[in-house]
Amino acid sequence: MGIETPDNGSYMVAAYVVVCVVVVGYAASLWRRSKQ
Amino acid sequence: MIPTLDDAHATIRRGLLITALALAGVATVIIMALWLTPTEVRQGLAQKIFYLHAPSAWAGLLAFSLTGITGGLYLWLRDPRLDLFSEASAEVGLVFGVIVLTTGPIWGKPIWGTWWTWDARLTLTLFLFFLFVGYMALRNALSDPAERARFSAVVGILGLLLVPFVHLSVYMFRTLHPQPVLLKPSAPSMDPRMLRTLLTSVGVFTLLYLGFVTARYGLSLRREARGVADGD
Repeated sequence: MGIETPDNGSYMVAAYVVVCVVVVGYAASLWRRSKQ
Repeated sequence: MIPTLDDAHATIRRGLLITALALAGVATVIIMALWLTPTEVRQGLAQKIFYLHAPSAWAGLLAFSLTGITGGLYLWLRDPRLDLFSEASAEVGLVFGVIVLTTGPIWGKPIWGTWWTWDARLTLTLFLFFLFVGYMALRNALSDPAERARFSAVVGILGLLLVPFVHLSVYMFRTLHPQPVLLKPSAPSMDPRMLRTLLTSVGVFTLLYLGFVTARYGLSLRREARGVADGD
Protein backbone atom coordinates (compact mmCIF):
# COMPACT_ATOMS: atom_id res chain seq x y z
CA MET A 1 0.00 0.00 0.00
CA GLY A 2 1.49 3.41 -1.03
CA ILE A 3 1.83 6.47 1.17
CA GLU A 4 -0.95 9.02 0.70
CA THR A 5 0.52 12.53 0.34
CA PRO A 6 -1.53 15.01 2.44
CA ASP A 7 -3.33 17.88 0.72
CA ASN A 8 -1.97 20.85 2.69
CA GLY A 9 -0.82 23.32 0.02
CA SER A 10 -2.84 26.16 1.59
CA TYR A 11 -0.48 26.16 4.60
CA MET A 12 2.51 26.50 2.28
CA VAL A 13 0.86 29.41 0.45
CA ALA A 14 0.06 31.12 3.79
CA ALA A 15 3.67 30.76 4.98
CA TYR A 16 5.11 32.06 1.71
CA VAL A 17 2.76 35.06 1.78
CA VAL A 18 3.82 35.84 5.38
CA VAL A 19 7.51 35.71 4.43
CA CYS A 20 6.97 37.99 1.40
CA VAL A 21 4.94 40.50 3.44
CA VAL A 22 7.53 40.63 6.24
CA VAL A 23 10.67 40.93 4.08
CA VAL A 24 9.18 43.35 1.54
CA GLY A 25 7.52 45.32 4.37
CA TYR A 26 10.78 45.69 6.28
CA ALA A 27 12.70 46.59 3.10
CA ALA A 28 10.04 49.25 2.38
CA SER A 29 10.37 50.51 5.96
CA LEU A 30 14.15 50.91 5.51
CA TRP A 31 13.67 52.68 2.19
CA ARG A 32 11.03 55.02 3.68
CA ARG A 33 13.27 55.85 6.67
CA SER A 34 16.18 56.50 4.29
CA LYS A 35 14.11 59.25 2.61
CA GLN A 36 13.30 61.09 5.88
CA MET B 1 35.27 58.05 15.12
CA ILE B 2 32.38 60.34 14.21
CA PRO B 3 30.63 59.34 10.95
CA THR B 4 29.90 61.98 8.34
CA LEU B 5 26.50 62.33 6.66
CA ASP B 6 28.08 61.31 3.35
CA ASP B 7 29.41 58.08 4.91
CA ALA B 8 25.98 57.33 6.34
CA HIS B 9 24.17 57.94 3.05
CA ALA B 10 26.67 55.76 1.18
CA THR B 11 26.12 52.95 3.71
CA ILE B 12 22.34 53.25 3.40
CA ARG B 13 22.54 53.14 -0.41
CA ARG B 14 24.82 50.09 -0.28
CA GLY B 15 22.45 48.34 2.12
CA LEU B 16 19.38 49.06 0.00
CA LEU B 17 21.17 47.80 -3.12
CA ILE B 18 22.14 44.53 -1.40
CA THR B 19 18.57 44.24 -0.09
CA ALA B 20 17.17 44.64 -3.61
CA LEU B 21 19.48 41.87 -4.87
CA ALA B 22 18.51 39.66 -1.94
CA LEU B 23 14.77 40.23 -2.57
CA ALA B 24 15.30 39.05 -6.15
CA GLY B 25 17.06 36.06 -4.58
CA VAL B 26 14.03 35.36 -2.36
CA ALA B 27 11.83 35.35 -5.48
CA THR B 28 14.28 32.88 -7.09
CA VAL B 29 14.18 30.62 -4.02
CA ILE B 30 10.37 30.60 -4.10
CA ILE B 31 10.41 29.62 -7.79
CA MET B 32 12.99 26.89 -7.06
CA ALA B 33 10.99 25.59 -4.10
CA LEU B 34 7.67 25.52 -5.95
CA TRP B 35 8.72 24.24 -9.37
CA LEU B 36 12.22 22.74 -9.19
CA THR B 37 12.07 20.82 -5.91
CA PRO B 38 10.16 17.56 -5.41
CA THR B 39 7.25 17.36 -2.97
CA GLU B 40 8.03 15.33 0.14
CA VAL B 41 5.73 12.30 0.11
CA ARG B 42 4.75 12.14 3.80
CA GLN B 43 4.46 15.89 4.55
CA GLY B 44 3.11 17.13 1.23
CA LEU B 45 3.47 20.74 0.11
CA ALA B 46 3.69 21.99 3.71
CA GLN B 47 7.26 20.63 3.80
CA LYS B 48 8.25 23.40 1.36
CA ILE B 49 7.76 25.91 4.20
CA PHE B 50 11.10 24.55 5.44
CA TYR B 51 12.99 26.29 2.57
CA LEU B 52 12.08 29.69 4.04
CA HIS B 53 11.72 28.77 7.72
CA ALA B 54 15.16 27.20 8.31
CA PRO B 55 17.18 29.90 6.46
CA SER B 56 15.24 32.59 8.40
CA ALA B 57 16.17 30.83 11.63
CA TRP B 58 19.81 30.79 10.49
CA ALA B 59 19.71 34.52 9.64
CA GLY B 60 18.00 35.33 12.95
CA LEU B 61 20.54 33.41 15.01
CA LEU B 62 23.36 35.03 13.00
CA ALA B 63 21.86 38.47 13.70
CA PHE B 64 21.44 37.85 17.43
CA SER B 65 24.94 36.32 17.67
CA LEU B 66 26.51 39.35 15.98
CA THR B 67 24.51 41.64 18.29
CA GLY B 68 26.12 39.94 21.28
CA ILE B 69 29.60 39.78 19.73
CA THR B 70 29.64 43.45 18.72
CA GLY B 71 28.18 44.32 22.14
CA GLY B 72 31.10 42.54 23.79
CA LEU B 73 33.53 44.30 21.46
CA TYR B 74 31.92 47.62 22.37
CA LEU B 75 32.54 46.96 26.09
CA TRP B 76 36.18 46.30 25.23
CA LEU B 77 36.93 48.96 22.59
CA ARG B 78 34.23 51.60 23.38
CA ASP B 79 33.77 52.36 19.68
CA PRO B 80 30.21 53.73 19.27
CA ARG B 81 29.98 52.22 15.78
CA LEU B 82 29.98 48.76 17.37
CA ASP B 83 26.98 49.76 19.48
CA LEU B 84 25.20 51.12 16.40
CA PHE B 85 25.84 47.83 14.58
CA SER B 86 24.48 45.89 17.59
CA GLU B 87 21.30 47.96 17.47
CA ALA B 88 20.89 47.35 13.73
CA SER B 89 21.56 43.62 13.99
CA ALA B 90 19.10 43.18 16.88
CA GLU B 91 16.30 44.89 14.93
CA VAL B 92 17.00 42.78 11.83
CA GLY B 93 17.15 39.65 14.00
CA LEU B 94 13.65 40.42 15.25
CA VAL B 95 12.42 40.62 11.64
CA PHE B 96 13.75 37.12 10.97
CA GLY B 97 12.39 36.04 14.34
CA VAL B 98 8.88 37.08 13.28
CA ILE B 99 9.25 34.92 10.15
CA VAL B 100 10.48 31.91 12.14
CA LEU B 101 7.77 32.21 14.78
CA THR B 102 4.98 32.50 12.21
CA THR B 103 6.08 29.99 9.55
CA GLY B 104 6.91 27.38 12.23
CA PRO B 105 3.34 27.17 13.58
CA ILE B 106 1.94 27.30 10.00
CA TRP B 107 4.04 24.15 9.30
CA GLY B 108 3.20 22.63 12.70
CA LYS B 109 -0.57 22.72 12.26
CA PRO B 110 -0.78 20.28 9.31
CA ILE B 111 2.23 18.15 10.39
CA TRP B 112 1.92 18.01 14.20
CA GLY B 113 -1.81 18.79 14.37
CA THR B 114 -1.24 21.87 16.53
CA TRP B 115 -0.11 25.44 15.98
CA TRP B 116 2.16 25.46 19.02
CA THR B 117 3.62 23.12 21.59
CA TRP B 118 5.89 24.01 24.52
CA ASP B 119 8.73 22.03 23.02
CA ALA B 120 12.30 23.00 24.04
CA ARG B 121 13.32 24.38 20.60
CA LEU B 122 10.13 26.41 20.18
CA THR B 123 10.14 27.72 23.74
CA LEU B 124 13.82 28.73 23.66
CA THR B 125 13.34 30.46 20.30
CA LEU B 126 10.40 32.40 21.75
CA PHE B 127 12.48 33.35 24.81
CA LEU B 128 15.33 34.54 22.59
CA PHE B 129 12.86 36.63 20.58
CA PHE B 130 11.42 38.19 23.76
CA LEU B 131 14.93 38.86 25.09
CA PHE B 132 15.73 40.95 22.00
CA VAL B 133 12.35 42.70 22.18
CA GLY B 134 13.50 43.65 25.68
CA TYR B 135 16.85 44.71 24.25
CA MET B 136 15.14 47.16 21.87
CA ALA B 137 12.82 48.39 24.65
CA LEU B 138 15.85 49.00 26.89
CA ARG B 139 17.58 50.99 24.15
CA ASN B 140 14.50 53.16 23.71
CA ALA B 141 14.18 53.72 27.46
CA LEU B 142 17.71 55.06 28.01
CA SER B 143 18.61 58.53 26.77
CA ASP B 144 22.31 58.66 27.70
CA PRO B 145 24.19 57.10 24.73
CA ALA B 146 27.07 55.64 26.78
CA GLU B 147 24.73 54.14 29.36
CA ARG B 148 22.44 52.80 26.61
CA ALA B 149 25.35 51.19 24.80
CA ARG B 150 26.79 49.63 27.98
CA PHE B 151 23.52 48.20 29.33
CA SER B 152 22.30 46.92 25.96
CA ALA B 153 25.69 45.29 25.28
CA VAL B 154 25.23 43.22 28.44
CA VAL B 155 21.74 42.13 27.34
CA GLY B 156 23.08 41.34 23.85
CA ILE B 157 25.80 39.12 25.35
CA LEU B 158 23.15 37.29 27.42
CA GLY B 159 21.22 36.71 24.20
CA LEU B 160 24.36 35.40 22.53
CA LEU B 161 24.75 32.88 25.36
CA LEU B 162 21.23 31.59 24.62
CA VAL B 163 21.95 30.98 20.90
CA PRO B 164 23.88 27.66 21.29
CA PHE B 165 21.10 26.34 23.54
CA VAL B 166 18.53 27.12 20.82
CA HIS B 167 20.59 25.24 18.21
CA LEU B 168 21.50 22.29 20.47
CA SER B 169 18.06 22.02 22.12
CA VAL B 170 17.04 19.26 19.68
CA TYR B 171 19.93 17.15 21.03
CA MET B 172 19.71 18.19 24.69
CA PHE B 173 15.98 17.64 25.21
CA ARG B 174 13.30 15.23 24.05
CA THR B 175 11.76 17.36 21.33
CA LEU B 176 9.21 17.19 18.53
CA HIS B 177 11.22 19.61 16.36
CA PRO B 178 13.06 17.96 13.43
CA GLN B 179 16.83 17.46 13.80
CA PRO B 180 19.18 19.74 11.81
CA VAL B 181 19.88 18.60 8.24
CA LEU B 182 22.82 20.96 7.54
CA LEU B 183 24.51 22.12 10.77
CA LYS B 184 25.34 18.67 12.15
CA PRO B 185 28.46 16.47 12.34
CA SER B 186 27.39 14.03 9.58
CA ALA B 187 26.67 14.77 5.89
CA PRO B 188 23.38 16.51 4.92
CA SER B 189 20.49 14.03 4.82
CA MET B 190 18.29 15.23 1.93
CA ASP B 191 17.40 14.66 -1.69
CA PRO B 192 20.06 16.61 -3.73
CA ARG B 193 17.39 18.84 -5.33
CA MET B 194 15.98 19.71 -1.91
CA LEU B 195 19.50 20.36 -0.63
CA ARG B 196 20.24 22.67 -3.58
CA THR B 197 17.14 24.75 -2.85
CA LEU B 198 17.93 24.85 0.87
CA LEU B 199 21.56 25.92 0.33
CA THR B 200 20.48 28.60 -2.17
CA SER B 201 17.97 29.87 0.36
CA VAL B 202 20.57 29.95 3.15
CA GLY B 203 22.82 32.04 0.87
CA VAL B 204 19.95 34.36 -0.08
CA PHE B 205 18.83 34.89 3.52
CA THR B 206 22.43 35.59 4.56
CA LEU B 207 22.58 38.22 1.80
CA LEU B 208 19.21 39.57 2.96
CA TYR B 209 20.60 39.89 6.49
CA LEU B 210 23.63 41.70 5.10
CA GLY B 211 21.42 44.10 3.11
CA PHE B 212 19.03 44.78 5.97
CA VAL B 213 21.74 45.27 8.58
CA THR B 214 23.88 47.50 6.33
CA ALA B 215 20.93 49.78 5.52
CA ARG B 216 19.78 49.84 9.15
CA TYR B 217 23.34 50.53 10.36
CA GLY B 218 23.52 53.38 7.83
CA LEU B 219 20.33 54.86 9.31
CA SER B 220 21.91 54.76 12.79
CA LEU B 221 25.10 56.38 11.43
CA ARG B 222 23.01 59.13 9.85
CA ARG B 223 21.16 59.75 13.12
CA GLU B 224 24.49 60.13 14.95
CA ALA B 225 25.95 62.35 12.20
CA ARG B 226 22.87 64.62 12.34
CA GLY B 227 23.16 64.72 16.15
CA VAL B 228 26.78 65.90 15.83
CA ALA B 229 25.79 68.43 13.17
CA ASP B 230 23.00 69.74 15.47
CA GLY B 231 25.40 69.94 18.43
CA ASP B 232 23.62 67.18 20.49
